[in-house]
Amino acid sequence: MAEPPKLRVLMVSDFFFPNFGGVENHIYYLSQCLLKLGHKVVVMTHAYGNRSGVRYMTGGLKVYYVPWRPFVMQTTFPTVYGTLPIVRTILRREKITVVHGHQAFSTLCHEALMHARTMGYKVVFTDHSLYGFADVGSIHMNKVLQFSLADIDQAICVSHTSKENTVLRSGLSPAKVFMIPNAVDTAMFKPASVRPSTDVITIVVISRLVYRKGADLLVEVIPKVCRLYPNVRFVVGGDGPKHVRLEEMREKHSLQDRVEMLGAVPHSRVRSVLITGHVFLNSSLTEAFCIAILEAASCGLLTVSTRVGGVPEVLPDDMVVLAEPDPDDMVRAIEKAISILPSINPEEMHNRMKKLYSWQDVAKRTEIVYDRALKCSNRNLLERLSRYLSCGAWAGKLFCMVMIVDYLLWRLLQLLQPDEDIEEAPDIFLHHHGEKIN
Amino acid sequence: MDKNFAGDSNPRPKWRKVAYGGMQIGYDDNYTDESFLEEMVMNANVVRRNLLKVMKDSVSISQYLCIVALVVLVWVHTLESSLDENSLLVLDLSLLASGFLILLLTEEKMLSLSLLLRYLLNISFFTTGLYILAPIYQTLTRSISSDSIWAVTVSLLLLHLFLHDYSGSTIKAPGALKHPNLTSCISLNASVVASVFVASRLPSRLHVFAVMLFSLQVFLFAPLVTYCIKKFSFGLHLLFSFALMGLTLYSVYALHKLFFLVFLFLVLLVNVVCPYWLIKMQEYKFEINGPWDEAKLCFDITD
Repeated sequence: MAEPPKLRVLMVSDFFFPNFGGVENHIYYLSQCLLKLGHKVVVMTHAYGNRSGVRYMTGGLKVYYVPWRPFVMQTTFPTVYGTLPIVRTILRREKITVVHGHQAFSTLCHEALMHARTMGYKVVFTDHSLYGFADVGSIHMNKVLQFSLADIDQAICVSHTSKENTVLRSGLSPAKVFMIPNAVDTAMFKPASVRPSTDVITIVVISRLVYRKGADLLVEVIPKVCRLYPNVRFVVGGDGPKHVRLEEMREKHSLQDRVEMLGAVPHSRVRSVLITGHVFLNSSLTEAFCIAILEAASCGLLTVSTRVGGVPEVLPDDMVVLAEPDPDDMVRAIEKAISILPSINPEEMHNRMKKLYSWQDVAKRTEIVYDRALKCSNRNLLERLSRYLSCGAWAGKLFCMVMIVDYLLWRLLQLLQPDEDIEEAPDIFLHHHGEKIN
Repeated sequence: MDKNFAGDSNPRPKWRKVAYGGMQIGYDDNYTDESFLEEMVMNANVVRRNLLKVMKDSVSISQYLCIVALVVLVWVHTLESSLDENSLLVLDLSLLASGFLILLLTEEKMLSLSLLLRYLLNISFFTTGLYILAPIYQTLTRSISSDSIWAVTVSLLLLHLFLHDYSGSTIKAPGALKHPNLTSCISLNASVVASVFVASRLPSRLHVFAVMLFSLQVFLFAPLVTYCIKKFSFGLHLLFSFALMGLTLYSVYALHKLFFLVFLFLVLLVNVVCPYWLIKMQEYKFEINGPWDEAKLCFDITD
C-alpha cells in the first residue's frame, strides 16, 4: 500500500501543453520529477481548442483544462472573480496543500493565487521572464505583480538577474525569493554519435524570428561572417515576422547556398537540427534564462550568445563565448568560437552538462521551497489586508477592496455548496513510490 | 564572506553569481549576496531642469495662446461689424508685408531673387484662389444653426491648441530637417476648418475673403515667423512675446472684463504655475536601469 503523498501541489499557468515553450517545459518536467519524488501534482490551465476537461499525462500527471477561452497571446480573459468557483472545486477535490503559479503574464495564475490566498492555502510563484519598468504595459504588469506577490509565501526566480528584476518590480523582500534555475533533459539532447566534419563549420540558430530574439542582429551578422569565412554555413530554424528580412538578406548577398532557412522546427526535431552543427548562435536582446543554450550545450555545440539578462550565469565560461548585442562584437565572438572549436569535445561537454543541470535537482530544491512555504504562519484576513494597503496610496485601497469582495464571495460559495459536499478525488498512483531518489 | 565554523571548520567557498552546478555548498537558494542589485543604475538619463529655463521656454506657449486670442478677437469684431472689410484687407496686407520682412531679416542664408519671386508667385496664386472660392465659403453653412457653428469652432480651436507643435513649425522653414508629425498636421487642419466655419457666417463676399486670408495667414505662417525670430535671437523673441501679451491683454480687456480675467489666469498658469509644478514633480522621478534591460540596437533597421 503506497503511503500518502507528502506534498500536494497545484501548478497553475496559462501556458502548458499542447503549447510549446520554456514555461510549458518547465512545468512539465518539474511536475514529472516531483511525481517521482512521491508527491502529488495537478496542473491547471485553460482549454486549448477542443482539448477541454481532465486529461492524464505521463506518470499520472492530472491536467485540468478549464473551459475558459484564451483571449490574447494564450492568456485567459481576466474576470477577477470568475475563476473562484472552479479553483475552489479543484483545490478541495484534490486536497491540495500548495499552489504554485507560473509566469507573471498569465492572468489565470494571478487569479488562482489570489483565490488560493483567500481560502488560506500556501502559495508559491515562479517568474520566468524579465520585464522593464518604463513603458505603459510594463507599469501595469508590475502593479498586478505587486498585488499578487504582496501576500505570497515564497517566490522562485530562474536566475540571479531575474531575482533582482523581480525584487525591484514587486517590492518583495529578497529573503523570500529563491533562485532555482531551469534545467535540460540531457537524455533527450545527446550529441551526434559521429561528429560532423569541421571542414565546413555549421552555425545553428533556432529561435522565433522576432525583434526580441535579435533577428535584426542576425541580419547584420550573417553576411559579415560569411564574407570573412568561406567555409562557414548557417542553418536558421524558426519562423516569425522577421523571416522576410532574413530572406531579403539572403537574396541581397547571394547566400542561398550558405544560409539554410528551415522554417518552424517542431520541438521533437530540435535535436536532429542541433546535431548537424558545431556552433549555436543566440542573439536575443533579453533573456531571463535561455533554455535553448542548455539544449545546444547538451548536444555538444559551442555557444555564442549576447550578454543580456541572465545569460552570463547559465553556462561556464569555457562552454560559451559572450558578446555585446552589437554586430561587430558578435562577429569577433564567432571568430573566437571558430578558433577554439578544435578543442571542444561534444561527449565531454554532454557529460559535464549532465552534472551541471538536472531536473531532479530542480525538483529537490523546489521541494525545499514548498516545505518553507508550508512552515509560514497562517494569517487571518485583517493581517493580510495590511500587506495590500502598503502597495500604494490608491492601489493599496483598491486591492484591499478586491480581496474583501473575494473573501465574501468565498463565504457565499461555502454557504451554497459546503466544503464537505465537494467530492474528493481518489489518488491514483501509476508507478511505485517505494523507489525514492536520494 | 563570513566563515562557517561548525565543528570541522571548513570555510564555505565564495558565493558565485552562477546558475549551474546545483545548490551552492553552504548557501541557501534564497541567499542574498552583498553584490545584490550592485549593477542597478538609477536616474541615469534624467535631465535636471532649471526653473528659469522652463519659464523662459513656456513663453513660446503663451505667445501662441496670445496669437490665437488675437485671431479670435478679430473674428469677434468682424462678426459684430465693428471691423469693416477694408480695414481687414489693410490688416492682411500689412501682416503679409511684415511677416515677409521678418523672414528676410532673420534668415541666415541670403534669399536669392528667384526664390523671392517664387514665394511672391505662390502667394498671389493662393490669394487669387481664395478670392475665387470666397462665394462658396459664404454659403457653406447657411443651413446650419449658429449655435452648432460656434460649438464646433470652439472645440476645433481647443483641439488645435492641444495638438499644436509648440517647439517648431508645421510649415517647414527653408532648410528645416524635422518632418511634421501627425498631431501637428491634425492641429493645422483643425484651425483651418475653424476659420472656414467662422468665415461662412459673414455677410459679404469681401468680408469672407478678408477674414479667410487673415486667418489662414496667421495659422499657416505665424508659427514659421515666430520660429525664425526665436532662432535669430532669444531676447528679441522674449520682447516680441511680451509685446504680444500686452497687446492681447489690452484688447481683451476692452472687449469683456470676465474674458480678460480668464485669459490673465491662463497666461499666469502656463508661465508660472506649470513650470513650478513640473520642477516639483521631478523629485519623484525614479528611473531604473540594469542588466535586466532589453538591449538597444545601435543601428537603424532599414526595411
